[in-house]
Amino acid sequence: MNSFIARRPIWSLIILVVAIALTWIVFAPWPPGFEAVFGRKKLFLNAALNGITLGGLYFLVASGFTLIFGLMRNVNLAHGSIYLLGGYFGYLAVDATGSWLFSFVVAFVVAALLGVILQVVVFRRMEGQELRQTLVTLGISIVLADLMLWAFGGNSWQIQTPTWLRGPVELPLVTAVKSSGEAVYLSYPIVRLVIFLASVVIGLGMWLVLNRTRVGMIIRAGVDDREMLAAMGAPVQLVFVIVFAFGAGLAGMAGVVGGTFQSLSPGEDTRFLLASLIVVIVGGMGSIPGAALGAIMIGLAEQVGLAYFPTYAIVLTFLIMVLVLAVRPQGLLARR
Amino acid sequence: MDSVAQRLSAVGSANALELRGVTRLFGALAALVDVSLTVRPGERRAVLGSNGAGKTTLFNCITGDFPPSSGTIRFFGEDVTAFPPQERIRRGLRRTYQISALFPRLSVLDNVYLACRGVSRGRYSFIQPRRSDALVHAAENLVQAVHLTAIKDRFVAELAYGQQRQLEIALALAGAPRLILFDEPAAGLSPTERAELIEILSSLPAYIGYIIIEHDMDVALRVVERITMMHNGRIFKEGAPQEIEADPEVQELYLGGGHA
Amino acid sequence: MALAESRARGASSAASQLPWLQNLNPAAVLVAVVVLIMPAIASSFVLTQIFGWAYMLGTIALSLMFLAGYGGMVSLAQVTVAGFAGYVVAILGVNGVPGGRGWPWWLAVLAALILSTVVGAIVGALAVRTEGIYTIMITLAIAAAFYYFTNENYAIFNGHTGIDGIPTPVFLGVDWHAPIPFYYLTLFVAVLCWLAVSYVSRAPFGLALQGIRDNPRRMAALGFNVNAHRVAAYVFAALIAALGGILLVWGYGEIAPGAVSVSAAIDILVIAVVGGIGNPIGPFIGALIYVVLKTFALDVLVAFGLDGNRFRLLIGLGFLAIVFFSPDGVIGLWARWRNRLQADSAPPQKAGDGHG
Repeated sequence: MNSFIARRPIWSLIILVVAIALTWIVFAPWPPGFEAVFGRKKLFLNAALNGITLGGLYFLVASGFTLIFGLMRNVNLAHGSIYLLGGYFGYLAVDATGSWLFSFVVAFVVAALLGVILQVVVFRRMEGQELRQTLVTLGISIVLADLMLWAFGGNSWQIQTPTWLRGPVELPLVTAVKSSGEAVYLSYPIVRLVIFLASVVIGLGMWLVLNRTRVGMIIRAGVDDREMLAAMGAPVQLVFVIVFAFGAGLAGMAGVVGGTFQSLSPGEDTRFLLASLIVVIVGGMGSIPGAALGAIMIGLAEQVGLAYFPTYAIVLTFLIMVLVLAVRPQGLLARR
Repeated sequence: MDSVAQRLSAVGSANALELRGVTRLFGALAALVDVSLTVRPGERRAVLGSNGAGKTTLFNCITGDFPPSSGTIRFFGEDVTAFPPQERIRRGLRRTYQISALFPRLSVLDNVYLACRGVSRGRYSFIQPRRSDALVHAAENLVQAVHLTAIKDRFVAELAYGQQRQLEIALALAGAPRLILFDEPAAGLSPTERAELIEILSSLPAYIGYIIIEHDMDVALRVVERITMMHNGRIFKEGAPQEIEADPEVQELYLGGGHA
Repeated sequence: MALAESRARGASSAASQLPWLQNLNPAAVLVAVVVLIMPAIASSFVLTQIFGWAYMLGTIALSLMFLAGYGGMVSLAQVTVAGFAGYVVAILGVNGVPGGRGWPWWLAVLAALILSTVVGAIVGALAVRTEGIYTIMITLAIAAAFYYFTNENYAIFNGHTGIDGIPTPVFLGVDWHAPIPFYYLTLFVAVLCWLAVSYVSRAPFGLALQGIRDNPRRMAALGFNVNAHRVAAYVFAALIAALGGILLVWGYGEIAPGAVSVSAAIDILVIAVVGGIGNPIGPFIGALIYVVLKTFALDVLVAFGLDGNRFRLLIGLGFLAIVFFSPDGVIGLWARWRNRLQADSAPPQKAGDGHG
């Protein structure tokens, strides 16, 4: 970090100023003049926290997508369908067993299995034909979307938050100060915070595996240079299958999360595929930290946009993508 | 177009290529060290040396793929050290690649036509050229120069390796080249194909100079007037082919280890 | 794939005339005749709902084929451009949601075409910032963003409801919405675009684009500005897509976000790939298959005892079959079949790898 400050002193100063400003905005009660211009602090805090926790969900989905592309150069356009499929199966699991945690296992297994089948039966035969593989994932997404529509119908399905996670918790963030001088603190749903923390833990876990284990080293080497991977004598096909299964499994689990946060319905597959695409374009292909950064940015853009200018929210997301493409097309945290 | 190039080459006493103190570092690796080189207009030169001697890096610096870490490059009297590859091409520099860089889904004639188009106007034209179009004629002449007229309509993907190497040369001849860099043109060719290559190179117009990187001494010795030997990024010997061949130092360092 | 295409298109020199003159075979002439006299033999329904639609969708898919087949860039944003053009015509002209500017139809069309080329340039500029497979991702993101925007925005696009009451113009004394005139209108535009694409593919611009598809580094080394060429290709494709989009909005009489949805974008890709992206006639064949399937899927599925709504399942399965067994589409299948016939009838010749 010291070298960063030394190399780019102006940027470091800007980042420092922004960090201080943000800290004040979040933790200090807003003076009336400030609120007159920017609206209620409660609205802002809710939007910000919604954005960050949504970012956690987007990270879960996008990290699998970026791993699969980074390693296998396969743009898996069926990723959104895997998300939705995992969600539906998770719902069925909760319905059958009543255990929310168990539904994660079910969703992961179903999705990972689908991933293994795809990798072994389909992609192995089309090694090196990137466009063809991508078209196949597209066809599969069409088929899956219609099958799910057939099986689960057009309505929204909502996974119930388990009782032990229901309700709000009070956060040490001041939203307003009452006339009596007493501070009012923000109440926020526990489940969203828990899921965000879980995403962080999973993200850190992935980072650790990638950077501190032998398997991770093989995967990272493969992301950088595919031919090198084969030359290293690593069991390339096995690594591909594992990564695809894991990436798909993550997306499936994210389906359960999304089903709890929001709901499951036809069209969610497209929405989360799009989110994955944008997160990865912004963050950089094959980069887990990039997926995290991109996910937070897009989550925030979406929720802040929704709170302050609803019909143009998508424009904000789109603008971020355009800016990144214009300034650093390989993604913000990409290696190249 | 040909006469313009001829006149440009004749006028002025400028050397075709002049390198002064060119050094290229890749981090701690010194690929080129203080290279100074002079090539006269129309001269035929070979750059020889073992793998890792710095030959391809030399070419990349001359074409502008990357700038030298220090030193200057002059092309026909003009300082082109900071020029992008585009500008050098427009001034008559051409290059072939060790691994043929062709357009597999287009025909032989189309490939050469594109090369001719690239250095002239009308690249965005939406009008199909007539049979009588000057550039089409130029392309057909070039195809003939490299002995590929019989298969000019065949797609490149269907060509044999040797034919692709011949096409690679044709691409470099498009427009008004004044100096061509040939990167291992004889690599992988059969003896017959090699003889054809020698013939093509020998029959190039006198005003076109070239520099060849080669491992194949037979080819190199027959088509050039002067040889530059490189070793570890430096030039360590220069002279006429017979001198170089007979030189004991060269024999030890390069030929002594067996012909490439 | 290259070899099949080469036989299908026929190797030709740089200075050849329109390629279709060389391929003038009896089958093509027959098709042309049938297509021209179709109104005499087909019902209004078939004319407009089958063929008219096939011509319009085929035109949009042709724009995708131009970019993908000749440029190596698979753009999922062609439907976006087409829909955009349709919306411009709807908004600037007369429409049933009071708010249309009421411009004369030809002015609205002109504005739509000009604005669409600008949009095409923007899409191109964004898409060429990265290489290869990213193009699908970026254009898909653009398509989805536009869909969500039109869905939410009521001020300009009238949101989810869309805009209806869009009339097809009456000019030269003809009501072009009537079945026979509409058939010929869509046929004319389709043929025009098909000729344009075929012709341009052999012009310096089209050849350069193909060179860029095959080896962009070498093209740069030959003196071409690769990205400028690519963006120009997107602009040309945008014009074609816009023409298709304007016809569609006249055909439907209305436009809604569903027309620019991600499903719609994927359908056009499916059409282009199924038909074959190696040849300009491919998209029209794909479009015909798609429209026929869509029209009769309900009856066929029910006849087989399946749920009549499973049209998209059929599309998906058919698409997968093509990608697995014949990646160059129906055109590729036909070309291979034709080669097998020729190989059977002619004496075997060496593929010719002696010295040139």
